[in-house]
Amino acid sequence: MLRLTLATLLMISGAAMILLSGARATEPGDATRGQRAFQRCYACHSVEPDEGHLQGPNLFRILGRPAAALPGFEYSEAMRRKAAEGLVWDRTTLDAYIADPEAVVPGTLMSIPPVRDPQERADLIAYLSLSGQFKD
Amino acid sequence: MRCLLAALAAVIFLQSPAWAEYSDQYFEVPEGDRPHDVAVAPDGTVWYSGQRAGVAGKLDPATGKIERIPLGENSAPHGVIIGPDGGAWFTDGGQNAIVRVDPETHAVKVWPLPPERMPYTNLNTAAFDGKGRIWFTGQNGIYGRLDPNTGEMKVWDAPRGRGPYGITATPSGEIWFVSLAGSYLANVDLETGEATVYEPPTPNQGARRVWSDSQGRLWISEWNTGNVSVYDPASDSWRQWKLPGENPRTYSVWVDPDDKVWLTEWSSNAVVRFDPETETFQSFPSNRPNANVRQMLGRRGEAWIPESGTDRLRVIRYASKND
Repeated sequence: MLRLTLATLLMISGAAMILLSGARATEPGDATRGQRAFQRCYACHSVEPDEGHLQGPNLFRILGRPAAALPGFEYSEAMRRKAAEGLVWDRTTLDAYIADPEAVVPGTLMSIPPVRDPQERADLIAYLSLSGQFKD
Repeated sequence: MRCLLAALAAVIFLQSPAWAEYSDQYFEVPEGDRPHDVAVAPDGTVWYSGQRAGVAGKLDPATGKIERIPLGENSAPHGVIIGPDGGAWFTDGGQNAIVRVDPETHAVKVWPLPPERMPYTNLNTAAFDGKGRIWFTGQNGIYGRLDPNTGEMKVWDAPRGRGPYGITATPSGEIWFVSLAGSYLANVDLETGEATVYEPPTPNQGARRVWSDSQGRLWISEWNTGNVSVYDPASDSWRQWKLPGENPRTYSVWVDPDDKVWLTEWSSNAVVRFDPETETFQSFPSNRPNANVRQMLGRRGEAWIPESGTDRLRVIRYASKND
């Protein structure tokens, strides 16, 4: 099957508009803008399946995945505890976590410069939602 | 809403005979500031980077009074140091800029990084060289230099791409940084900017922060291994020690004026002091869970600790050997 990287996908789709709930965003998330927003995450996360884990876990196909679920990554105790409580990464939980990681998972290792703009968070989640969606 | 004034809890503990007395005090900062880094001015004023709120925090430890200075739209300061000019200098990831706050007027001056090179570099920390220029790291794979007098800023690609994290200056004004993702120590040429990589003994050790002692030795907190390691440029030699406890995670390092090495360790939620003379550790756990201490800095007799997870600043006061 044809395998498309996220970058290729974005080039093909141009300003790909993905319909999202987007929390309090005023318009649907824009994956192209989200790719730029992902620069905030880039130092610690990859969305490429072949790149493995960095300081943070790989985010390929993150949407719909239970927290702390990937093999080969040593999650914090705080994240494992939340996973045991049933935390799943959907648009709502990701939005809240990106907005204030400590509030959602007290003790989390993640330290992201806060993404205060709900539209930017929706864009970022739109970008993450592309990962894996058109692969295999 | 919690009070802006300090909530104080000073306690005297008796510890080992070698290092008998210290006091522990906590100051609450406004809820949601999430203090990431801290720095102490020569007059004892304490500055912190309120990363989530986008503010510079200024604490008077004598009164507990906190002043907050907004740094700009989209600000998210990560690091803070006191410059040779007495100003508080921030690496502001949100604004992708170096920011100075005047200690008297609180005037804010912003030097944005050149956006055409990389729109968002995830700025980490900074250090001044011996010529009054500020060097900085960006986790997305850059390091750079700003001359505040001329405004000239230069940015270089880091070896191995993403990862540049802690940075420090030696007493002679040399600049070294470490790469968390790249797992190396690097020395930069102050004029050409060229970085020379030094490989720690343990591969993939996750060198997160670095600090120089009085002799110019570079102490490194290794996140992946839970070690503290030291590189001595004079002898081109390394040593390393594992922190105590089960599965230690060494986040940050600061070397005090007595050349004692302070570390923050996440598995035990504690600050750990390492004495290189006796090669022993002493642990100082936080009195609340999930303190999430990402950095330390201080001055003689005072070790300052920002608890990003509890919205507090902590200080451990101790008798310096030179008191």
